Amino acid sequence: MKNNNIVYPFTGIIGQEQMKKALILNVINPLLGGVLIRGEKGTAKSTAVRALADLLPTRSQVEGCAFGCDPREPANMCSDCLSKYESNGTFVEMFGRMKVVDLPVSATEDRVVGTLDIEYAIKKGEKKFEPGILAQANRNILYVDEVNLLDDHIVDVLLDSAAMGVNTIEREGVSYSHPARFILVGTMNPEEGDLRPQLLDRFGMVVDVIGERDTARRIEVIRNRLEYENNKEMFSNKFIDDQQDLRERILKAKKLLPKVQFGDDMLEMAAKISIELDVDGHRADIAMIKTAMTIAAFKGLTAVSSADMQEAAELVLPHRMRRTPFEEGIFNFSKVEQIINEVGSARDDAI
Amino acid sequence: MTPFSQCESKEKSGPVPLLKDRPKNVSKAAPPRSYRFPFVAVIGQEKVKKALLLNLVNPKIGGVLLAGEKGTAKSTLVRSLNQVANEMKVVELPLNATEDRVIGSIDIEKTVAGGKRSFESGILKKADGNILYIDEVNLLSEHIVNSILEVAASGVNRVEREGISCEHDSKFVLIGTMNPEEGFLRSQFLDRFGIYVEVGGSKNLAERKEVIRRRLAFESGPAEFAGKWETEAAELRNQVLDAQKKLPLVKISESILKLTADIVNEACCAGNRAELVMIETARALAACDGRQNINIADIKEAAEYALPHRKREKPEEPESREDEQEPSQEENDDQNQEPDDEQPDDQEDGGAEEPENQQQEQPPETEADPPAESDDDESPEPEEQEPDLSEIMDQIDAIGRTFIVRNLNIKAIDRKKRKGDGKRIKTKTDAKKGQYIKSMIPQHKINDLAFDATLRAAAPFQSVREKNGLAVSIRSEDIREKLREKRTGSTIVFVVDASGSMGAKKRMETVKGAVVSLLTDAYQKRDRVGLISFRKKEAEVLLNITRSVDMAQKCLRDLPTGGKTPLAAGLLKGYEVIKNEQRKNEDLLPILVLVSDGRTNAALMDGDPFSEAKEIGQRISAAGIQTIVVDTEVDFIKLGLAKELAACMNARYYRIEDLAADVLADAVRDLSNASSF
Repeated sequence: MKNNNIVYPFTGIIGQEQMKKALILNVINPLLGGVLIRGEKGTAKSTAVRALADLLPTRSQVEGCAFGCDPREPANMCSDCLSKYESNGTFVEMFGRMKVVDLPVSATEDRVVGTLDIEYAIKKGEKKFEPGILAQANRNILYVDEVNLLDDHIVDVLLDSAAMGVNTIEREGVSYSHPARFILVGTMNPEEGDLRPQLLDRFGMVVDVIGERDTARRIEVIRNRLEYENNKEMFSNKFIDDQQDLRERILKAKKLLPKVQFGDDMLEMAAKISIELDVDGHRADIAMIKTAMTIAAFKGLTAVSSADMQEAAELVLPHRMRRTPFEEGIFNFSKVEQIINEVGSARDDAI
Repeated sequence: MTPFSQCESKEKSGPVPLLKDRPKNVSKAAPPRSYRFPFVAVIGQEKVKKALLLNLVNPKIGGVLLAGEKGTAKSTLVRSLNQVANEMKVVELPLNATEDRVIGSIDIEKTVAGGKRSFESGILKKADGNILYIDEVNLLSEHIVNSILEVAASGVNRVEREGISCEHDSKFVLIGTMNPEEGFLRSQFLDRFGIYVEVGGSKNLAERKEVIRRRLAFESGPAEFAGKWETEAAELRNQVLDAQKKLPLVKISESILKLTADIVNEACCAGNRAELVMIETARALAACDGRQNINIADIKEAAEYALPHRKREKPEEPESREDEQEPSQEENDDQNQEPDDEQPDDQEDGGAEEPENQQQEQPPETEADPPAESDDDESPEPEEQEPDLSEIMDQIDAIGRTFIVRNLNIKAIDRKKRKGDGKRIKTKTDAKKGQYIKSMIPQHKINDLAFDATLRAAAPFQSVREKNGLAVSIRSEDIREKLREKRTGSTIVFVVDASGSMGAKKRMETVKGAVVSLLTDAYQKRDRVGLISFRKKEAEVLLNITRSVDMAQKCLRDLPTGGKTPLAAGLLKGYEVIKNEQRKNEDLLPILVLVSDGRTNAALMDGDPFSEAKEIGQRISAAGIQTIVVDTEVDFIKLGLAKELAACMNARYYRIEDLAADVLADAVRDLSNASSF
């Protein structure tokens, strides 16, 4: 069948608004830190992530660069491109679409970080670095299905590069480092075991999905799926306009994002929420503001509102509430609302 | 350089695609340094900053360990240290590092092309005279830790591997960052870090707001942001330089030495490193202040940095080992073993025969129960014990105090290769991780080449082979693969006594605390766990074997106590669960942990419940399952039943109060050096 490669259209997914929102926000602003989608089997988690590929924007990259460096962003270039940039060399620019790069659970460490090309070394007597999955993932989405089943040492190396946006390799006679800034998207079924808190914290946001409970919508889900299986091309054609609309909205939001402003009261909200809820470190505050800015941009607005903050808090906070590996944080959302209202109304008074 | 000419100092260059094609100077500017978050722009964290700067001023302090929650700019600060350091640079040791890159190894390129074996230096060479930084240092694999420890102690890296023999200087300032949630460091490693700082987030609203503001400003324009802070960075650089110059002038008076020794003594620190570090830190503090004499405030401040990770609880028994200068592993482990051999409590013998005496406080539901069920007794101080109603019904105790668990010395018993990635046990492994032990002829597709062995295998045929312009001709029959060893997580099944007797006197609270501690330990060592409780008439599998330690903890929290004590049923269930799991995975390394006082009053069949339990215990032992018995008996008069059972099962025996690690971070102690199981 020729239409085998057609993925289920993103806009054809029924319900799961929170998950879809989280994914779109990450596409708009790759600095949000990715998303972890938790939920039972058969809740369109993987479908949604794979469907995202069709919505991803094209962007400029250096031709021939294994890491797809942005010719205008020296801060995140690989050493090759950077030296060229600094010596005022010119880049051959090309446009490529952002990709979803899969990290299979069975991947070995050398495949993930990259390693020495042994065959080449022996046959030619020269060392060659064989880039791994993290190299491919630079400036793309790194997708880990069943992320909770990932081998521990892979999680460790993943954490390392997710944190710094740089993959440093010191193995098998290879010593190298290259940019590895990716949007980490993970899906997992909590029944299979949980995720290490350290990795959990690396995800900018967490979304819990549950199956659709409403009978009418369930039927719709089934109908859509059957229709898709039956004739993928015809089914996805139905959504061509929707997909195009969404793509344009994302592009618009991307352009708008640098113009989005936030007031001092928004900062205060974020900081206050984190203090009152006693979250670890400062990542939550920063993520909250960035997410709220992206939400505003997606709405086509240039100022962050309390409502945006609330939406952001819902995405950013739930997984950061635990203090020890086991202690369960009670996520008290009414508290968050209360703080947002307090700070929000204080501002209104001031005006 | 060293007298061994083989050690060539060679600047490592970055690859893609061909390493040798690249100009050497490019690679040095590795990741774009100037675009890092500026050191001086980090808000708060004054103590961390100071600790790092002190090390720049005086490298003799010996580095710093930063421990703290996630997202507190730990790594950001260390990685940006280059901006304020004048000569030293930060050399990073990533977690993915293989041993050959750390220590240095045979240079494949040169060896193949030139036919001459030559040495390619590793990270330890790069780190010489610099800062060696390990992020997530508590996750670093054991064999890498060992090599670093050795070098950190001697300042020299001696390489004896893959047919290479050479040595070079490697003196570095060791900086590590870690999140204690993921486990702690063993004390020997801990001691290598001169000073220690605990990092936390700011609780100040204004500060937090500024943190967000700066971070966002940085992200939207890293170069501009860094530029804004350049003057401040330059100023700090000069201050460091200044202090470096003043350092040699700082004098140490006799009284300061005495004060230092007193403070260290008071803190019960092991070894003399604490004093040395304190003095060096105080010197740096004085130099930073532009003074030539160390004052008391300096020493006090230095103590805050140098002692927290070395401080120990006051030793209870006088351990008069001469002078534990380098607490060697063996010695520590010896101490570890002591409680197993002999139970210091002398009560057990006398108490064993007289369960009758203990009936004083009967849990109300025991009408039908034999005496062994009860457990509370004449405790030294008469405390009011209302035999309250709650004991009739099931009660759910809170989780009591938790602690760091001592090393339980579990060892792999067979020589099978196991695939897995826990940290508890070393076993042979096929996966391409772990320590290279020896080479072998590959059986499948090769992916982990043992280059030295391959070369050796090819050597004899060189004179007769076609070489195609290469110095060495290697054929597929020469290829050798590395055989590696690493740790495998074990599968631990907890069998917990939840009978009525455990409900008394908050005992279950203590037990739950202990089991949670064991679970935390299991989490850190990446073990898989299962949970079985026995009470009333039967044993119940609360949680089948899972990686989710979290779920185990939840089950435990909700675990009620009450009813009889069917010990034998509990053991049998544990045995069955393990057997079942072994059917699925024969590489399993099972451990059964029995948490009980050994008293039982419900048999599986009609027989003596305790001998029945012993019988099953023997069966478990015969099946090669390792067992640990945690004795919960806390009564004044000890029956020693659990100990008897432990002997019968060939189990390791711990009293519940012995589980806690005696010295602060001994939980994760090197198992490889443990004495035999």
